[in-house]
Amino acid sequence: MYEAAVVTDQLLGVGEKFTDFTKAVTTKASIAQTPKELIWTLNKAKLYRYIPLLPKEERHPVPLLLVFALMNRPYILDLKPGHSFVEFMVKSGYDLYLLDWGTPGPEDKHLKFDDYALDYLPRAIRKLKVVSGSEEFSMLGWCIGAIITTIYAALRPDDGLRNLVLLTAPLDFSNKDGITFSRWVDERYFDVDKVLAAFGNMPGEMIDYGAKALKPVENYVGNYLKLWDNLDNPQVVDAWQAMNTWVTDNVPLAGGAFRQLVVDLYRNDRLMRGEWIIRGERVDLGRISAKLLTVIAEGDHITPPCQSAAIMSRVSSTDKELFRIPGGHIGIMAGSGAGKRTWPHIENWLAPRSD
Amino acid sequence: MSEKQAANGKEFDPTDAFREMRDTYLDAWAKSMVDTVNTDAYAKASGMMLNNYLSASSPFREAVEKVMLQALQQFSMPSRADVVSIAERTVNIEVRLDDMDAKLDRIEKSLASPRPASRTRSAARPAARPAARRSRKKGAK
Repeated sequence: MYEAAVVTDQLLGVGEKFTDFTKAVTTKASIAQTPKELIWTLNKAKLYRYIPLLPKEERHPVPLLLVFALMNRPYILDLKPGHSFVEFMVKSGYDLYLLDWGTPGPEDKHLKFDDYALDYLPRAIRKLKVVSGSEEFSMLGWCIGAIITTIYAALRPDDGLRNLVLLTAPLDFSNKDGITFSRWVDERYFDVDKVLAAFGNMPGEMIDYGAKALKPVENYVGNYLKLWDNLDNPQVVDAWQAMNTWVTDNVPLAGGAFRQLVVDLYRNDRLMRGEWIIRGERVDLGRISAKLLTVIAEGDHITPPCQSAAIMSRVSSTDKELFRIPGGHIGIMAGSGAGKRTWPHIENWLAPRSD
Repeated sequence: MSEKQAANGKEFDPTDAFREMRDTYLDAWAKSMVDTVNTDAYAKASGMMLNNYLSASSPFREAVEKVMLQALQQFSMPSRADVVSIAERTVNIEVRLDDMDAKLDRIEKSLASPRPASRTRSAARPAARPAARRSRKKGAK
């Protein structure tokens, strides 16, 4: 009799739970709360400086620039108060800058890695140097942002880059069987020119589908079941909403850059082969001399570990470290364990090299 | 039984067994799907679907674009190409402004830095002046 009453209560509660579930899925979380100021813009790109919490004499003199991917919003680095890499680094005494590439429009369909690495990034860095008053700087590139920072580090090795941190960097495309995207964009199956002729830029929804389809059950089913099971836990719901807000905020990828990504990198592995020409200059990884930290997520399906390790033997940096950490592509920086494992490791590596 | 569980601090939940079964099934399904999407057959099928969609939608898309262009011309409204062209020109202006900003920063920095000895300055001036005069004359032509 008692158990029957419990079952009845639970059945009655399902409707209420469903309402809560719908609300949680459709509500946008308040993200990117760390105070910042806009110091430079060009086209859609914006450079922000986070308001320092410590006085200048207590901060690290070498500023840090965060460069995120082109096809997602960079506020994953500043997800929510109390769970933000940006907040963590500002509190740790860094003069912190974030380059937001913005959302490309139809007029940007010709933009290539050449433009991002040799126009936008150097101009943003120039402004960073003026504002920070430092000729040297550190740079952290994540995912496609790591490709851009790597190109820059190789082509402009004397521009003041002291430390380079690469997170889940897709640089080596030689292992075709180990990279699912390589299979999908194989020239036998995927006509990149036809896609770009139709859309101009690669639509954010298609990129989002591609990323989610790598683990379809987790992303389309398990993710929502996790929320359903934890609706009575406000902490889990808050974290889920913040992540969902970021995941559903898709950005198209400029057509020119997408074509290079598919043809030059996924199909022909031109970067690792030393054959990639960016605005007439060959990208020679051997010219990278900055201190290097490469972070690999061991459970990464988007950038499998095999894509990030090879750079360690190609660069001429004498101070370099490869850090492997359990977790996925996004989870290592934005997951619940990020604040205990990844962030402190990056900070501990950077701190003595930023003084 | 439920009283015992309640005494242990955990309420009886009849859906626990279902959840365990569900999670086990989902794990197995997730693994098999990851293997499935990482095959040539999946790549071929998804590529074919996308290709067919693009081929089928292309004539329709072109027709809509043509009609839209004609309608905009009729109403003397700018087309997408016009807006794109303006946006590109705006970016070019932004680039010029950024170049000027860089020059101003350099000037500001050189003014703020300690001045060199007066002899060096006076030596540098005569070389700069004729060049400035020359460029003015050139502009006057």
